[in-house]
Amino acid sequence: MKEYDLSNYVCPLSKIKASEALDSLGESETIKVILGDIDSLKSVAQELKKRGLKPSFTREDESRFVLIIAR
Amino acid sequence: MSKNQSNTKSNHDLRVYTDITQLIAGRDNPTPLVKVNRSNPNQDFQIFLKLESYNPFGSIKDRIAYMMLTSLEIGEKTVVEPSSGNTGIALTCIANALGIPIEIAVPEKIPEEKKILLKFLGANVMEVDDALCPLFPAEGARGLVNALIHSPATKDSYVSPNQYENHLNIQTHYQTTGPEIWKQTQGKIDYFFAGYGTCGTITGIGKYLKEQNPDIKIIGIEPESMDHKLPGMKRITGLSEDLIPKILDRSVIDESVQVSDEDAYSAAMELARKDGIPVGPTTGAILCVAQQYAKTHKGLAVVISPDGAFKYASFYKDIINKK
Repeated sequence: MKEYDLSNYVCPLSKIKASEALDSLGESETIKVILGDIDSLKSVAQELKKRGLKPSFTREDESRFVLIIAR
Repeated sequence: MSKNQSNTKSNHDLRVYTDITQLIAGRDNPTPLVKVNRSNPNQDFQIFLKLESYNPFGSIKDRIAYMMLTSLEIGEKTVVEPSSGNTGIALTCIANALGIPIEIAVPEKIPEEKKILLKFLGANVMEVDDALCPLFPAEGARGLVNALIHSPATKDSYVSPNQYENHLNIQTHYQTTGPEIWKQTQGKIDYFFAGYGTCGTITGIGKYLKEQNPDIKIIGIEPESMDHKLPGMKRITGLSEDLIPKILDRSVIDESVQVSDEDAYSAAMELARKDGIPVGPTTGAILCVAQQYAKTHKGLAVVISPDGAFKYASFYKDIINKK
């Protein structure tokens, strides 16, 4: 599974990077996206909803949010 | 000019300059103040336009761009700034003259002419959807630059003049544009009209004029709606406090007036067709409020004209085609 650690990017850079990752997501492919703040999580979640994608979500600590996204 | 002559001191009388940035307006080299004649409904209320398009890079932003850029500690970093075009164009020209790399984040909906001009100048242009960033609703370009400056991954590579919070944005107008207007009107100015944008112009000039004569009325103009076609202008009413430019000093402003796109574009076109002065749509917005004042007031008014018409040909084309 490809991993995109975006925890060093704040919103909206995190959203832009996540969108680029989603654009390259192939059929039946799964990726792991790591975000570093709540605002990034909210805006990436918004983008996923827009694309009709439902991720699985884990909060590893205060500043580490992990999304597993499959097409 | 040959290299041997390049050390010659700039001379405003002869119009000889050591580099292009020396043409930026200042007390010794003011932008023109031109009377509005046939577009003014009442000559007892004299309206003068402060034509900032006469700056070398075409707008009022030339003044602040030079001050902000030359005061910035850049080192090996890239300069980045959000802009609806004019600050970006000014910063890029000055950065080019100084040999500094620059990136400009612009809203997608600014006129194509401005985007092309920025690319022509060699800036790395990032076109940004206004709705990109929930932290800066309707100002995605501002959000993106904020992220570049604050993200651990990028913050060591970028530096921003940040015209929304940079006090040089006020100081420049306090030290140059304000004194120019005071001198050019021989202290007879009664009303000053300017738009809300980064708010440096209205705050800096307003503060200077109020200090010379507290009776001068300062009138701020904003778009009637958030979704407008007046690049560089910002609707302040209804904005949350943290999105209002931090440099705005409301204490110098006597009244705020809202203007529709239609009224702004009509005023700009009337000015071009009756007085032969081609201005951008924001000038139209500011002028149309002065024209409303002219119907019920007497005195001398100065209207800031941030830029000229030519960068807005595609916007004017849409209006002309509709009519």
